[in-house]
Amino acid sequence: MSDALAISPSRSNAVRRRAAILGVLALVALALVIFGPMFLSRFSINVLTRSMIYAILAITVDLLWGFTGILTFGQAAFFGVGAYATAMLLTHIGSSPTLISLALVLAILVPVVLGTIVGWLSFYYGSTPIYATVISLVFPIVVTQLIYSGGTLTGSSSGMVGYSGLPFGLEGFFRLSGISLVVVTLGALIFVRSDSGRILTAIRDNETRCAYLGLNTQRIKIMLTAVLAGVAGLAGFLYANASGVVAPENTSFVFGTELVVWTALGGRGTILGPVLGAVGIDYLSASLSGELPFLWQLVVGTLFVVMIIFLPNGLAALVSRLTRRGRGEVVAGAGPELVSEAPRHHVKMVDGPLLSIDKLEKSYGSQKVLADITLDVAPGELVSLVGPNGAGKTTMMRCLTDGKESSGGVIRIAGKNIAGMVPNQIVALGVGRKFQVASVFESLTVAECLRMARASLEAPSFVAASDTLSLPPAAIEILQLTGLDQLLSTEVSLLSHGQKQSLELAMVVALEPRMILLDEPTAGLTKAERTTIGTILKKLTNELGFAAILVEHDLDFVRDISSRIVVLHQGRLVLDGSVDEVVNSDIVKTIYSGGDHV
Amino acid sequence: MFDTAKTETKLELDGVTSGYGPIAIIKDLSLSIRKGEIFALMGKNGMGKTTLLKTILGLVSARSGEIQLDGRSIVGASPKALIKSGVGYAPQEQPLFTDLSIQDNLRLAIRSDRDLGAALEHVFTHFPFLRDRLAQQAGTLSGGEQKMLILSRALMLKPDLILIDEISEGLQPTVIAQIAKALQAEQAENGTTILLVEQNLNFALDVADRWAVLKLGEIDDSGIADADSRERVLEHLKI
Amino acid sequence: MTLLLDIVTTAAILFIVSAGLLAIFGVLEIVNFAHGAWLTVGAYCAVVTGGLGLSPWLALPLAFVAGAVLGGVTERLIVRPLYSRPQDAILATWGLGIIIGQLITLGFGRDVQFTENLLSGTIHILGTDYSLYRLFALAAAVAIGLGFALLLEGTRLGLSARAVIMNQSLARALGLDTTRIRFVTFMIGTGLTALAGVLLTPLTSVDPTMGVAWLIGSFMLVMVAGSSFGALAVACLVFGGAQVLVSTFISPILGGITVAVLSALVLRISSKGFARV
Repeated sequence: MSDALAISPSRSNAVRRRAAILGVLALVALALVIFGPMFLSRFSINVLTRSMIYAILAITVDLLWGFTGILTFGQAAFFGVGAYATAMLLTHIGSSPTLISLALVLAILVPVVLGTIVGWLSFYYGSTPIYATVISLVFPIVVTQLIYSGGTLTGSSSGMVGYSGLPFGLEGFFRLSGISLVVVTLGALIFVRSDSGRILTAIRDNETRCAYLGLNTQRIKIMLTAVLAGVAGLAGFLYANASGVVAPENTSFVFGTELVVWTALGGRGTILGPVLGAVGIDYLSASLSGELPFLWQLVVGTLFVVMIIFLPNGLAALVSRLTRRGRGEVVAGAGPELVSEAPRHHVKMVDGPLLSIDKLEKSYGSQKVLADITLDVAPGELVSLVGPNGAGKTTMMRCLTDGKESSGGVIRIAGKNIAGMVPNQIVALGVGRKFQVASVFESLTVAECLRMARASLEAPSFVAASDTLSLPPAAIEILQLTGLDQLLSTEVSLLSHGQKQSLELAMVVALEPRMILLDEPTAGLTKAERTTIGTILKKLTNELGFAAILVEHDLDFVRDISSRIVVLHQGRLVLDGSVDEVVNSDIVKTIYSGGDHV
Repeated sequence: MFDTAKTETKLELDGVTSGYGPIAIIKDLSLSIRKGEIFALMGKNGMGKTTLLKTILGLVSARSGEIQLDGRSIVGASPKALIKSGVGYAPQEQPLFTDLSIQDNLRLAIRSDRDLGAALEHVFTHFPFLRDRLAQQAGTLSGGEQKMLILSRALMLKPDLILIDEISEGLQPTVIAQIAKALQAEQAENGTTILLVEQNLNFALDVADRWAVLKLGEIDDSGIADADSRERVLEHLKI
Repeated sequence: MTLLLDIVTTAAILFIVSAGLLAIFGVLEIVNFAHGAWLTVGAYCAVVTGGLGLSPWLALPLAFVAGAVLGGVTERLIVRPLYSRPQDAILATWGLGIIIGQLITLGFGRDVQFTENLLSGTIHILGTDYSLYRLFALAAAVAIGLGFALLLEGTRLGLSARAVIMNQSLARALGLDTTRIRFVTFMIGTGLTALAGVLLTPLTSVDPTMGVAWLIGSFMLVMVAGSSFGALAVACLVFGGAQVLVSTFISPILGGITVAVLSALVLRISSKGFARV
């Protein structure tokens, strides 16, 4: 059944080489943190222990902000909660190996629970990015104030000191923090390169597209927030043990902003950059604060502003731009192996029409944009939706993919009423939507985009970057017809407009929908590209039994490929018939010559 | 009618390509509008009509080609500069500040409140109903009244060239007739050049001297507005 | 009775402190995270006039001018390149806040500064003795609110600013100089914020980080109010009132987080906040 279409022996070698480099780097880093204390001064050991714990936090900020695009100031609070959980337990209940283990568990578990709550508050259908930032500010403020008002329980403004934690010395904590940092860094590096790690970047690039590929982006972001809260809590546990003191400042949003500054200076979206940024800046701050206390902060602040304006991706991005290969140029031939996979038929077949619209209505205030639209679409039909400007075509498409849009009437897809459903639920009913402006993921490769379309069907790996790409035959055919199969490892931002349109269509088909909605799929394409898209659409409907609904202005294109034409005028359905019936109708002539209301 | 006056070129487009991001909406388009004429540019949705107007006005920057107003290049000029040199614009999408009063909508078209009185008198000659309703919120006007307000605002500075985007959309024939009258009066009295973007071919061919049909960002057909035009244009416009 | 006065004057102070941030957010759609730094700059203008032996009232115009000039430079160099990247604008202005804070520390030291009171003493009102200055703050808030209303409703600049808020692309298509409008708005916003900093001096201690404490509260209120001064006034009254009640009857520390928590909840329920009031 599996049928190799493009063979790339170099690919797996490259993967292996990268794994080897990563392994060697990890070993070197481990050696450094294990033998480092022999060569470092007491002061440096002390400061670097702290810096390395902070670097773990910077990684969590990078995963949230750099990779997923969620600007957060709240990681300090999870860190503080972890540290306080540890200190409070060890102070008030006592210190024993069991209790220390319990402290470790609590230091991770409590932030995870809080992270879930914060995530649930921050991410819901229709939430804005700025709202998540707002919550990330409110949360640390609440935590800090609660600590202040906690009396002897939390030590109030003076913090907690004098509890006994892990029985390690100065050097022991250095090694423990160092090993933890290496492990977290390695884990993060493996994760972001894995198939599921790429979802984070996909969400950052184009969250709407993710939702229309059937991914529940809200849940992914909540889970990410919860897990990274746990990691921050772990860092808090380390900190509480290593420093022997916790203070309200550890939880404050100001510390949270410092984490963002380090991440930005090191280079967002690079993992290693923020690690170096955090360790470097925190260490230098401690070393220089004696001699040039305020000047140093001034320099950091200035660098930060300059960096945000002129080099938003940080120093590491500059370095990688100078050295990187592969990405950033069109790569012909390379990339994962395409594997043709039998259709999964994951969408249940039903009797009756695939789409059934009954008296659909949409109004904005008193203005009715759609009224009394009734329409059935069966498998294998290619229905074109036409009508002059403002007829309500795009509004109708929106109503079909978002159950919260319509103001009246019933829309059933495969027999299911979609009222109240959000896009990813409707996609799961077997609907694929292609947008007017190609909606793809600009900073992913062609192959990664296609893999995103499969992510809702088969859970991607958290560790591995797969070197095969399984797609249904129809999607592979689109890639071959348009030459995209030769550009699998090319970054999407380098594709032409027409190639992006084709890629989006292939992504939608890879979802294996039963019905495809297309909003002006040929806008801005050359004649040859139009013909190709037309051929593909005809094949999808005629031979493979997809239903398609098309909004399109290019008359020749509509005439050529439609099996049926539906005319909308001023929000009403005025005509529904075969191509010939509609083209020769008098009503249509009246509408298009600017005649009276129909 | 004005054949002698209409030999001079008011607006000249030569090989203009423009669009959004990577997408070219207008492709290598050339067009010449003569001084004092009403020119109707027709075409269906998505064929680039609005983008063409925005390109002329500098709201969308031309990627290549030359645009000249009165023989001077205006490529790269700001909307502010163009409006100053006598261009009026009646947009189609979100064309009014619906929460502002009629008067404030009109005020925003002029640079200084000192000119307000005279400019208002000028538009009242075409649309007298505005006079008594200056304080009314623009969003509460009927569809036809809103269109007349949009056109009035474009006339405030007595421009030499007006770019009008689908002013007839969704209007009753009586309102369309009123607008047609205003346009023809501006042309006759002030020698104003008007570039009309339209889908309503009855209206467009009634008022225009010449026409062209835009298809996929290129001129597909063009001619003088006469008795035979209607059938010819309908073939391009209908589905 | 005192409680009622506390509520109203607390709301007034919140309004004074957030008005400049709102003006900028409304027109530029940029959150000025250096807002706290401008409050600090204003307060140090009061320190300077005090140091020179001048009347403390002179600090008000001085702060407005200093804030506006500094704002002009900031808009040109930092904010303008970041219009299309609002998230980065938050960060860059936060960075600017660090810079300003450090410059002030270099110039004045990190210690708390004392300033001469603008007004001192109490006045007998509504059957109780109440701080004269807090009542003055109420008057100042009303004056600022009316000033903005006049500016927005009565002047061409105000009309242009409203046009930009409502529909930026149409404003541009009508030939309005949107760049200049943003520039001037930013200067007015920062000037006003510095002025608010002077007004804060009798109520809070003056040190290089004093502004940060006010930043979050203002930010929350502005998020809830959107671009409307009316909505801001309502938000200040409701949340300021809640803050006073919580502080009085439950705990002052919890009172400190009332505004932030309530704002977050209101925004969770309706992303438009009070903007429709």
